[in-house]
Amino acid sequence: MKTSFFFSALLISSLAFATDSVESTEIIDMPETTSSSDSVKNNTLLQEDYNIRLSVIGQGVAPMHTASPAQAFALAKRAAIADGYRLIAEKIKGVRVEGQDTIKNMMVTRSTVRTYVRAMVQNANIVETNFKDGLCEVEMEVTLSYADLAH
Amino acid sequence: MRSRDGSNTLLCRPCALIFFLVLTLFGSEEYLISYRYVIKDAFLYNESFLLSKAMRKCSGTPQKEITIFNEKHLSLKKLLSDTSGEFIFYLHKLGLDVEHRVIQNNMQNSDTTILTLHTTCFKVDFNEDFVILTPLR
Repeated sequence: MKTSFFFSALLISSLAFATDSVESTEIIDMPETTSSSDSVKNNTLLQEDYNIRLSVIGQGVAPMHTASPAQAFALAKRAAIADGYRLIAEKIKGVRVEGQDTIKNMMVTRSTVRTYVRAMVQNANIVETNFKDGLCEVEMEVTLSYADLAH
Repeated sequence: MRSRDGSNTLLCRPCALIFFLVLTLFGSEEYLISYRYVIKDAFLYNESFLLSKAMRKCSGTPQKEITIFNEKHLSLKKLLSDTSGEFIFYLHKLGLDVEHRVIQNNMQNSDTTILTLHTTCFKVDFNEDFVILTPLR
């Protein structure tokens, strides 16, 4: 039973790879939440023969006062796309984090955490857009290939 | 208006006219375009799109171009204003610089994301009813 299940899973995964292949290279999908140790275990580091597809969901909020619902949607979508780009940049390049706590008389008086990321993102695709209750969610993906980053 | 020697006026005028007409009709022009928008706490805070004619010849490798239909023969500024959604989507594909900062003060977050297309030279080919924009990088 277990063996047949394993082989069927293997067959399905190989079919999925066959349909998603780009220029005869395999694509590995990186799930939404993956810790770094998991990615190393699953061998999802960028290699010459594999492409990595990153998928993120960006969120944006429509302003309270807009001329029309269409304008609200457009503005929220713009914000959601920017959020998606930010998430892609954070996944690819990482985030710089700085923290500072001020303690006076054994009490924390001020706590500050600053995070910062800066990157150039090209060829990100919008896969799906949802707009509900003033919140716009945009699913975006970008495919990383070894050749793109090698030069 | 007569030339100094008085004899070249008739010879030069048609040639010059044809030359400038050909340049106007079939020649490409170069424009500088920059685009930037700021998102603060998930709200679109500010957006700017700047377009200006290049005052000197641009250099660079042509990148993936975009074709925009221009059946009403609009100026580039008006055309890009009318088709802003399509063009901005193309600019995103072209690649934007992403800058993101989050500051957490006493457990209260505020974040700012800035997406920028740095000033890029575009070669613009005006055709009969469409315009081709090719970025040079």
